[in-house]
Amino acid sequence: MATTIPGSLVNKTKKFFMGMPAPSGYVPGVGRGATGFTTRSDIGPARDPTEMPEAGPVGPTAPGGAPPAKRAKEDDDREAEEMNEANYDEFAGYSGSLFSKDPYDQEDEDADRIYNEVDDRLDERHRERREKKYKELVEKYHKERPKIQQEFSDLKRQLAEVTDDEWQSIPEVGDMRNKAKRNARAEKFTPVPDSVIAMNMNYGSMNTSIDVNSGMSTPFNSGSGILTPGWKTGIQTGTSSSIDLDLVKIGQARNKIMDIKLNQVSDSVTGQTVVDPKGYLTDLQSMIPQHGGDINDVKKARMLLKSVRETNPRHPPAWIASAGLEEAVGKIQTARNLIMEGCEKNKGSEELWLAAIRMHPPELGKSIVANAVRSCPHSVRLWVKASDLESDLKDKKKVLRKALEQIPSSVLLWKAAVELEEPEEARILLTRAVECCRTSTEMWLALARLETYENARKVLNKAREHIPTDRQIWLSAARLEETRGQKDMVDRIVAKALSSLKANQVEVNRDQWLKDAIDAEQAKCPLTCQAIIKNVISLGVEDEDKKTTWLEDAECFEKQNAFACSRAVFSIALSEMPRKKSVWEAAIAFEREHGTIEEHEQILIKATEVVPEVEVYWLMLAKLRFVNKRIDDARNTLKDAFEKHNHQSETIWLAATKIEIETDQFETARTLYAKARSKASSARVWMKNARFEWCLGNLKEAREIIEKAIELYDDYPKMYLVLGQILEQMGDSQAAKNAYTQGIRKCPGVIPLWILLVRLEESNGQIVKARVDLEKARLRNPKNEDLWLESVRFENRVGCPEMAKERMSRALQECDGSGPHGRRAKSIDALKKCEHNPHVLIAAARLFWSERKIKKSREWFLRAVNLDPDNGDAFANYLAFEQIHGKEEDRQKVINKCVLSEPKHGYLWAPIAKDVKNWRKSMEEILLMVAAKITIPT
Amino acid sequence: MSYMLPHLENGWQVDQAILAEEDRVVVVRFGHDWDPTCMQMDETLFKIAPKVKNFAVVYLVDITKVPDFNKMYELYDPCTAMFFFRNKHIMVDLGTGNNNKINWAVTDGQELIDIIETVYRGARKGRGLVISPKDYSTKYKY
Repeated sequence: MATTIPGSLVNKTKKFFMGMPAPSGYVPGVGRGATGFTTRSDIGPARDPTEMPEAGPVGPTAPGGAPPAKRAKEDDDREAEEMNEANYDEFAGYSGSLFSKDPYDQEDEDADRIYNEVDDRLDERHRERREKKYKELVEKYHKERPKIQQEFSDLKRQLAEVTDDEWQSIPEVGDMRNKAKRNARAEKFTPVPDSVIAMNMNYGSMNTSIDVNSGMSTPFNSGSGILTPGWKTGIQTGTSSSIDLDLVKIGQARNKIMDIKLNQVSDSVTGQTVVDPKGYLTDLQSMIPQHGGDINDVKKARMLLKSVRETNPRHPPAWIASAGLEEAVGKIQTARNLIMEGCEKNKGSEELWLAAIRMHPPELGKSIVANAVRSCPHSVRLWVKASDLESDLKDKKKVLRKALEQIPSSVLLWKAAVELEEPEEARILLTRAVECCRTSTEMWLALARLETYENARKVLNKAREHIPTDRQIWLSAARLEETRGQKDMVDRIVAKALSSLKANQVEVNRDQWLKDAIDAEQAKCPLTCQAIIKNVISLGVEDEDKKTTWLEDAECFEKQNAFACSRAVFSIALSEMPRKKSVWEAAIAFEREHGTIEEHEQILIKATEVVPEVEVYWLMLAKLRFVNKRIDDARNTLKDAFEKHNHQSETIWLAATKIEIETDQFETARTLYAKARSKASSARVWMKNARFEWCLGNLKEAREIIEKAIELYDDYPKMYLVLGQILEQMGDSQAAKNAYTQGIRKCPGVIPLWILLVRLEESNGQIVKARVDLEKARLRNPKNEDLWLESVRFENRVGCPEMAKERMSRALQECDGSGPHGRRAKSIDALKKCEHNPHVLIAAARLFWSERKIKKSREWFLRAVNLDPDNGDAFANYLAFEQIHGKEEDRQKVINKCVLSEPKHGYLWAPIAKDVKNWRKSMEEILLMVAAKITIPT
Repeated sequence: MSYMLPHLENGWQVDQAILAEEDRVVVVRFGHDWDPTCMQMDETLFKIAPKVKNFAVVYLVDITKVPDFNKMYELYDPCTAMFFFRNKHIMVDLGTGNNNKINWAVTDGQELIDIIETVYRGARKGRGLVISPKDYSTKYKY
């Protein structure tokens, strides 16, 4: 290790040598004592590739023969040196060749050769002897200095016997240097002491500074008073140096000023201090050490506080601060002594007494508090403290009674006293209290609460007289009346409250009143809350904002679960604006959510009464009644609707027929249909009628009706569907086919028609025809997933799986992003492409089901059900899943959800739901049927 | 990745880099930044440099700009990595027959970390030659 520069001395992140040039003449590698190596001794050490090859080949035949001569010429001046005395040898003469200038010719060559031959011959003669001698020499040398390896070879042999364990147990070398040496410390900077700076300054300014006085007295300045350069510089240098120099003096001056100030404070005989003692105290407060800080600070603070105390002993904060300081330092006894002294001197100071009580233990505190109340009997806080200090309830009461004798007007004391008493005692106390402090609303209200009804009324009336500006009194009066059953009074009181408050110039805050209404509701006083809302709701609301504000209010109440309030808002809104649809809708929705059935019905009846021309409300009412099994009422409602108010729309008619059908009154239903056809003729009425007949099994009549209907409405595709299916059922497949083709001609975009046609043909065995029809359908309706699905399934049915596969791939290409094809194998792929297709979700859920990932599967089913509540398949699958893996309540949940959302579509759902046999089955039954059809995925 | 690692620009810097580390192994890669083998090696070195920073530091040296060590350390391979600890060249028995250096590109970072760690442990014990945890001899290739 040559010159190791500790890395830790410099910046650790950047090495000192980075980007630095090498010192001149530095030899890399050798500079740090490195030696190279030779890996392959047979090849030898590496050569420097950048090195120039050594001077050209040396040989007797120099190219051109010229160079030697030339060289000789170049070395012309060297030649002279070779001839000097130093090179002279007695035997060989001058060492240099005398003939080096001459060209090397044939003769020379011959001569050299002959000489060399002679030399070789001589060498030959001695070789054997010489080699032997050399060998001996080497051996001798090796014997003298053997290699280290060879020297210890005998010892090393023993190493073979060392076991692995012994090897392992050889201790580590480790770095034994101490840590300080290993990591040299970074450089540390210490500020130069002031004394050094001052000394240096003095040293520098010695020559220039001239004493001002002596400068003045120089002859330069005689008489005339001209400012000579000398004394000018004297002054300048003098002042400037004094500014720079006197660091020590500044410190001394500061100390002196402090002394003076302290003296002023403590010496002021008159008591009129120059320094503001309050300011000093605040300074000192901040100086009080919190955690036993500097002892000098404490001393200083103590001294200052002492001076403050002495100058102005009538200043309680000084005493408190002193005691606080002592307490903080831990000298509690001193603190107590101080504070008691302070109390002696300032008997009237509440603060001081309180501090004193705080610093003493409770037993002592009691006697102090007794002194305290004696010396300042009008301090409420001292009295409260006194009652706090008493542990016995009786004593507390006694103290408070005494206190009230002294200060009868303190609300705080009265409250404390009342809280400790039994209700009866409290009532008596409160009667006295309200006399003493008439303006305390709380007292009045508390009293009213404790009194009997009659008295409470009186109390409240009195309270109103005394505090005419508080609404709480009015509101509690209203509540009181309500609990007493005086319902008519409530409204009057609230109205009066508003007018009287207005008369007393109290600003009525609407939000506050509305909050009061909620409070009233929570206190089970719905009438009060209604009255409040009635009186307040329209306050400060512009006419045009009324609707939105009120609806917002109602919503707000609903959110806070104040249903009575929002009901009241709605009733007011409805009475104000009976023609507003949104108000009605909001009110009905509210009742549906939160009201009982009666309330719901009530509001619907009201709606039908007020706005009889809106048929939706009629329908809602009828449905509500029907659902609650009051068939006659429902029937009457509908009758009212179309007799009295002349609602002749198809929905009302259909609702009426539905009720009849549900109650098995087929004859009545039939007459109703007839009436409907004549009065509100529409495609839907006709179709429903036909379906009704079909369901009853009167195929012929159904057919007649539907044919008549087709004459009237020839572009309604469902007609053809129904007709075709009726004909199919009658066994007249030819006619059915005609019906379908007619339908297709009229409305070629209706997929079910195509599909039914294909299925009909398929069932008739006309597979080729069916395929052609499918092709046609696809051509007419490109990119339709249902058609493609039908074709795939068709091919599967007729037993051509290859065709089916081909169709499938084409279908996937054509309707990329559609769901039902990708089913099982490709469900992951499908999921990526069309996340929002319920079929895909169902497929995924079934996939998880088959893998027994119950939880995940349930999650996916739920997602599918939520995504498309109109899809019956999802519900059926879900139910089938829950029937196997779920609990009873899970199943019930699915069924409830299904009944609520009334699904209409689905590949499995639609055929069963629309099957004529199942036409009167409830949602739940259908769901169970479909679920039974679901296969368990494996 | 060579641009992310510190380069040494002359022989003096190389010497100082080796001398300046007291408690860490100095790994020096001799070669050219443009050389494909070096690129692979540099990638690995860059990857492991932060992981081994507690016991090793990595430098790159361009053997054309700094030819001073070419003869001394026989730098005729496209990429050479050598290890130094407290100004001592630490040899590694890699099974290749050349214990002085790694003269191919190590592409597995963990392997290189293992080698450097072995070097560090051995060098701390005062060894001049350590045995690589993995045998790189060609006999396993064929």
